[in-house]
Amino acid sequence: MDARLANTWRLTLNEKNFIKTALLSEIRIDGRKPFEFRNISINFGREDGSAEVQLGQTRVMGIVTAKFVQPYRDRPNEGTLAIYPEFSPMADPSFEAGRSGESAVELGRIIDRGLRESRAVDTESLCIVAGKLVWAIRIDILILDNGGNLVDAANIAALAALMTFRRPECSLGGEDGLEVIIHPPEMRDPLPLIVHHLPIAITFGFFIDENVVVIDPILNEEAVMAGRMIATVNANGDICAIQKAGEGVSQRVIMQCLQLAITKAADITKQIKAAVEAYNSERALQKIKRETTCVGNNVKGDQNQTLDNKGISELVGKYMERLKLISVESYASQNISAEETKSLRRGTDSNCIKFNSTPLSWDPYSKCVDLEFLKASVALQGLSTASEEKEATGKEKGSEAESAGPYEDVNSKWSAVDASTTEMHVIGPKTLKDAVKPKNKGKKKASSVI
Amino acid sequence: MENKQSSSPASFVDSTVVPGDVVLDLSSMTNQTIKLGGGLRQDCDAISATKAGTLRFSKPNKYWIESSQKRYVPCVEDTILGIVVDSKADNFLIDIKGPAMGFLPVLAFEGGTRRNIPKFEVGTLLYLRVVKANFGMNPELSCTDASGKAAEFGPLKDGYMFETSTGLLRKLLSSPACPVLEALGKKLSFEIAVGLNGRVWVNAASPDTIVVVANAIMNSECLSGAQQIIMVDHLLKNIQ
Repeated sequence: MDARLANTWRLTLNEKNFIKTALLSEIRIDGRKPFEFRNISINFGREDGSAEVQLGQTRVMGIVTAKFVQPYRDRPNEGTLAIYPEFSPMADPSFEAGRSGESAVELGRIIDRGLRESRAVDTESLCIVAGKLVWAIRIDILILDNGGNLVDAANIAALAALMTFRRPECSLGGEDGLEVIIHPPEMRDPLPLIVHHLPIAITFGFFIDENVVVIDPILNEEAVMAGRMIATVNANGDICAIQKAGEGVSQRVIMQCLQLAITKAADITKQIKAAVEAYNSERALQKIKRETTCVGNNVKGDQNQTLDNKGISELVGKYMERLKLISVESYASQNISAEETKSLRRGTDSNCIKFNSTPLSWDPYSKCVDLEFLKASVALQGLSTASEEKEATGKEKGSEAESAGPYEDVNSKWSAVDASTTEMHVIGPKTLKDAVKPKNKGKKKASSVI
Repeated sequence: MENKQSSSPASFVDSTVVPGDVVLDLSSMTNQTIKLGGGLRQDCDAISATKAGTLRFSKPNKYWIESSQKRYVPCVEDTILGIVVDSKADNFLIDIKGPAMGFLPVLAFEGGTRRNIPKFEVGTLLYLRVVKANFGMNPELSCTDASGKAAEFGPLKDGYMFETSTGLLRKLLSSPACPVLEALGKKLSFEIAVGLNGRVWVNAASPDTIVVVANAIMNSECLSGAQQIIMVDHLLKNIQ
């Protein structure tokens, strides 16, 4: 008890008086002007959907995850969004582990209102089966360091995380068309969330009289301020939410603050978008690097069905753009189980081998089919770039036969079929039954290519 | 005296040590009185370090470990800045940024008697001296110096207080004046009180002087002397 008493942060009378007197001459204790924001720096983690924001000394981390749930009865077509703030005790001596106090609940509510009421995140696109299965997006906000103005920093962290989050693509399939198939990231590129606009929270602090207003208060100013207003606005000038606490202020001051908030929100929106762009381009660069190193290539599947020359060149173009590969639907034998995420990563070509990931089991010993198939397809290849990949796949296939496989998850039986000049296909071989089909289709494809 | 010391302590002085290092071997030094300061502990014949930092030696016989931390461990005869938290019958409860609250007896003022007990509001900043600091007990403080005179101790009026690490404080208090303070003192006039528990109080005539001084000191922790002077010049140009 004594230790906790000794550890609490206290404000002296000297500080209180000084902050107030200095503000009367428009001087803030960290040297900023009254309407100046601190420097914002946004960093992303290695996983999609995690962001850390630093606003001066305040540090907040936002993490976005998603899972399947049943939708609410009154909204059967929409996914859900939930915010979970956590005030870590390392941020401030007054934060306790476990259930945090009012300020944590308030922070969660403000961010939640800003995102939900303004419909910033498109929840209808999160619906998979109406009335039965939707995506539930969960945003965890972790406060790492409290340097004042947690709400603004947490809001930016949540937005940055939402914009970089990718959810796995899923489709309906299976025998009765009602099974939901989640495509692992190696097969199909995960999708970003649809975010219509960015609601930014701006905090205003009011001191002794309503004419003394500051933006983005730091810890000391927060302890001294008499009233506070948090306005969530977006760059288009829409006001998404307002939260007001403490002393009353006149309408004129509120309108001025809202105008100011809109200007600041535009700046911050630009910063967030720039940071997200940089992250996305780096991510794409990394994927391209992986693709060009043969073995560790991503397999992307798409809805495209037929192998088509025109389609190939188109798709090659698209591939360069979006790194999305299309697979042939003809291979959508239900026996292919793509649930094994340990699929060989290969670049797939715009050629269409479509494999549906179904949760069916497959026979790991039907490799012979793959090899043959591979050879058949490889024979069609003519390009030098493909030759490397061929070799690699050939090697891999060979090693697969021992079910050892290369380090990149050679468990699966995906055989790569080269249909395009630059990329390889991967098909999922299954049982002996399926073994027959691929052969035929391969030949067909070969003919169509030629 | 240094010549008589064995090689090991001489090699440790002014170098970094970590807890557990044996820095002095007493068996080789007989008939000497050595004073141990903070961070050193005696185990029979070996003096070992309990803090990580630099071992310092000052003539004739003082050894101590210097390190920079944000927490304060109360030591006797330290001058610190404390915040009044509560007043009881016999003492004031003072927050000194340490592991326990400090007690300031109500009579520990110059000319203090039961009749003229000072009244301090909660949140008053006081400049104090540590009288007793034992492990596990609340430290005892005083507003007088050893001889009973006031000597600048007591409440500090106005001004602004901020917190720093102990390493920065020692630099501020070092005897050829710290470059930051010198550079600031050439152009601005201000008053400063440094508490060894990590608190610094600044007062000046105008608020922007106070803000400049406070920020300059806070930023000077990691800068070398020359860099500090450059930083101060920058700051002063901006306000003039």
